[in-house]
Amino acid sequence: MPGRLSRRSLLAATVALPLVGLGSGCARPAGLASSAGGRVRITFWSALRGSKQVVDAFNRTQDRIEVVFQQIPSGDQGGYAKLSNAARAGNAPDVATLEYPQVPGFAIDGVARDITGLLSDGLRAKLLPRALGLTTFDNRVFSVPLDVEPMVMHYRTDLFAQYGLPIPRSWDEFAAVAGTVRDRAPGRRLVLFPTNGFLQFAAYAWQAGAQWFDTRGGVWNVSLADAATRRVSAYWQRLFEEDLIFANASPGRQSDAQISQGLVLVRLTGAWDAGAQMSSQPGQKGRWAIAPLPQWDPARPVVGTHGGSTFAVTKDSAHPEAAMEFIEWQVSSPDALRARLSSGASSQYPADPALVAVGRDTFNRSYYSGQDIYQLFETEAGKISDGWVWGPRMTATQHVMQDGFARASGGEGTILDAVREAQSATMPDLVALGLATSEHST
Amino acid sequence: MTTTALPPTPVHAAAPPGVRATARRGEHIACGVLMAPFFVLLIAVFLIPVGTAVWLSFFGNDRPGLGFGPAHTIFVGLRGYLAVLSDPTFLGALGTVVLYCVIYLPLIVVSALALALLLDSGAARLRSWVQLGLFLPHAVPGIIAALIWLYLYTPGISPVVALLGRADVTVDFLGVHAVLPAIVNIALWSNLGYNMVIFYSALQAVPREVIEAAVVDGAGPVRTALRIKTPLVRSSVVVVSLFSLIWALQLFTEPMLLSQSTSMISSRFSPSMYIYDAAFTRNNYGLAAAASVILLAATIALSYGVTRWTNRAPRELSR
Repeated sequence: MPGRLSRRSLLAATVALPLVGLGSGCARPAGLASSAGGRVRITFWSALRGSKQVVDAFNRTQDRIEVVFQQIPSGDQGGYAKLSNAARAGNAPDVATLEYPQVPGFAIDGVARDITGLLSDGLRAKLLPRALGLTTFDNRVFSVPLDVEPMVMHYRTDLFAQYGLPIPRSWDEFAAVAGTVRDRAPGRRLVLFPTNGFLQFAAYAWQAGAQWFDTRGGVWNVSLADAATRRVSAYWQRLFEEDLIFANASPGRQSDAQISQGLVLVRLTGAWDAGAQMSSQPGQKGRWAIAPLPQWDPARPVVGTHGGSTFAVTKDSAHPEAAMEFIEWQVSSPDALRARLSSGASSQYPADPALVAVGRDTFNRSYYSGQDIYQLFETEAGKISDGWVWGPRMTATQHVMQDGFARASGGEGTILDAVREAQSATMPDLVALGLATSEHST
Repeated sequence: MTTTALPPTPVHAAAPPGVRATARRGEHIACGVLMAPFFVLLIAVFLIPVGTAVWLSFFGNDRPGLGFGPAHTIFVGLRGYLAVLSDPTFLGALGTVVLYCVIYLPLIVVSALALALLLDSGAARLRSWVQLGLFLPHAVPGIIAALIWLYLYTPGISPVVALLGRADVTVDFLGVHAVLPAIVNIALWSNLGYNMVIFYSALQAVPREVIEAAVVDGAGPVRTALRIKTPLVRSSVVVVSLFSLIWALQLFTEPMLLSQSTSMISSRFSPSMYIYDAAFTRNNYGLAAAASVILLAATIALSYGVTRWTNRAPRELSR
C-alpha cells in the first residue's frame, strides 16, 4: 500500500524541512535589490486598500528611492503565511504590512527588525503614543503605526427612524434597543456577533478594561478570561440566548446578505469600515451614519481599537534606511493620505494626528449624508484606553477562540468557554517557543 | 523482504563446496542490488525526516524571556513534548481520531468482508462489474474525493441536501454532530472497494474441497461464509485492519478540505492537522516536531499491539 505509507513520510518531510517555503511569489530576493539608475530600489508588500496609489505618489515625489509594490492577500487569506515563508527563505520584502496583533509574533520570529535606532525623533513625536505603544516591546520599536482605528457604531439611520429607535449610549440601552428591534421586526436584528470576530471581541474586552497580555517583570502574563472579559462574555452570551442578535461568520455569504438586505441595523467595527462599506454597498448611500460605541459607564467613556495597520522593516532588507524613509513618508505625509483616500475605499484614521485635517478635507462625505466622520473619529480616538498589549501568537489564539465561538453559536458551550479554551491552547505555544510565561484568571 | 531467508534448495546441498560459495555470493549481490532502492528510499524519505523531526523536537532556536532578544540554538529536552501533551487541543485531536477509528475500522472491515463474501458466493455474471464499480472510487485521489463529497454535503449547492429538503428532511452534513460521520463516509467510499479486493483474492485462495466438504456436511451458504471462509481469511482481516488503522491515524486530507466550508472542523481537528497548524500557522517547529514524533510513536505502538494481539490468538486457540 505505497500510497498510504508515503503520506506519513510526506507529512514528516513537510514538518521536518521548514526551509521548503511557499515564498516563491517573491521572484527576486530583496537582498539583491540594486540601484537602478542611481535609485535605491526597495520592495513593499501590503494588502491595504489604496497602497498602489500611495506607492505611485511616493515614486513621483522623489528620485532617490524606487518602491516596488506587490499587492498580497490579506493576512487571514494567507498574507502572513506568505511573509513568514519568505522570511524563512531569506527573501522577505524590505517593508511589510502588519496589523497590530501580529507585531509581537513577527518580532519574536525575527522577521520584523528592531527599528528603535532608525525611528527619527521627529516621527516619534508625531505619532499617537498609544499607537506607538502597541508596536513597542521591551523598549524596542518593531513597527511604525499607519492608522489607529477606534471602534465605532455604524448604524442604519433609515431603519432607526422607521422603528423609532434611540441611539444607545450604554450597553444596557444597546440591549434594550436589540429587544425592541426583535419585537418590531422579527426578521431583523440589531447586530451580528461574528463567530469569526475575534478582533471585535478583543475590542469589546479592551473597552471593558481587560488586559489579555502584559509583559510586566519580563514575562508574558496571560489572562484572557479576566473579570472584564467575563463581563463582556456574559453580556453577549445573554443577547445570544435571548435571540436578540445574529451569530454567524462575517464576512461570508450570510453576513453579506444581512447587510445588503438590511437585516442588521448596526455594525460595531473600526473607523476604517466606513470606507469599506462605501465600496462594498454603494447602493446604501445615505442610509448609514456613525455614532460612538455604547459604553459600560457613559460618564467615563473608553474604547478599544478594531483594525489598524503598521509597517515593519524586515530582517532581509538591504536598505533599512531607505525603507524607513518610505515608511515615514507613508505615515506622516499629507500626500500619502490623500493618495490613499483617493482610491475611494479607505476611511483610515491616521496615527499621526496632524493628518486628521487632511482626512477630513479629502474624504468624500456624500455616502454618510455629509456627516463629519473624521471629527467623530478624532473624539473617539481620544478615548482609546492605554496599556493594551497583544500577545506573541495571536493568529493561533484567534483561531481557537473563533472555533469556540462557532460551537457556541451552535449551542455547544458558551462564549466564555471559547475564551478559556483559547487561553489553554495558547499557553503550550508560548512554552514551546521558550518564552517566559505566567498564567492568570483561568 | 523475508524471501531471502528461504532454506537452500536441495540443488545447492548436492553441489560441491566451491560452487556453493560462488552461488551464495551471487545471491547476496542480487539481493543487495534488488533491495538497494528500498533502503535508499527508506533512508531518504523516512529515516532522515524522522531524524530531523526528533532533532527539531529537542533543540529550540530560543529567545529567552519576552522573546525579543537574539536567538540561540539550545537543547530544550522534553519541553516540546510536555507542551504538546498539556495542550487540550492536541488531546482533543487525539480523541477525535480515536473516535474516528472506533467508527471507521469496524465499518470498513465488516462491510468489505461482507461484500467479498457475497461476491465469492454467487452472482457470477455481475462479479467483475461489481468489483470494478466498487474499486473505481479508490482510483480517485483523496483530495478529489473530498472535493466531490464537499460538493454533496454543502447546503445550497448539494443535490442530495436539496432532495432531502424536498422530502422535508433537514440534514446538515457539516453540522456539529454529523461532521465526523460525514468524514467516515468519505473514507468508506474511497477504501471499501480496495479492501474488498484484498478479501476477495484471499477467498479465492481458500481450497474448494474445504467448502465442498462443508456443503456436504449440510452447511448453508451463510454458515459456510461465516464459519468456514471467514476464519480461513483471518490473516487478510489482520492486514486490512492494520493498514486501515495506520491510515486512519493520519486523518488529514478530508477534514482539511471540509474545514473550508464548516467552522465545526477546527484547524486542529486531527493530530496531523494539529501538526500542520503548529508548523505553518504558528511557526512553532519544536511543537510540530514533538507532536509528529508522538503521533509516529503512537502509530508504531498501536500497529505493534494489533500485530501481537492477532498473532497470539491462534496459538491460544490451538492449545
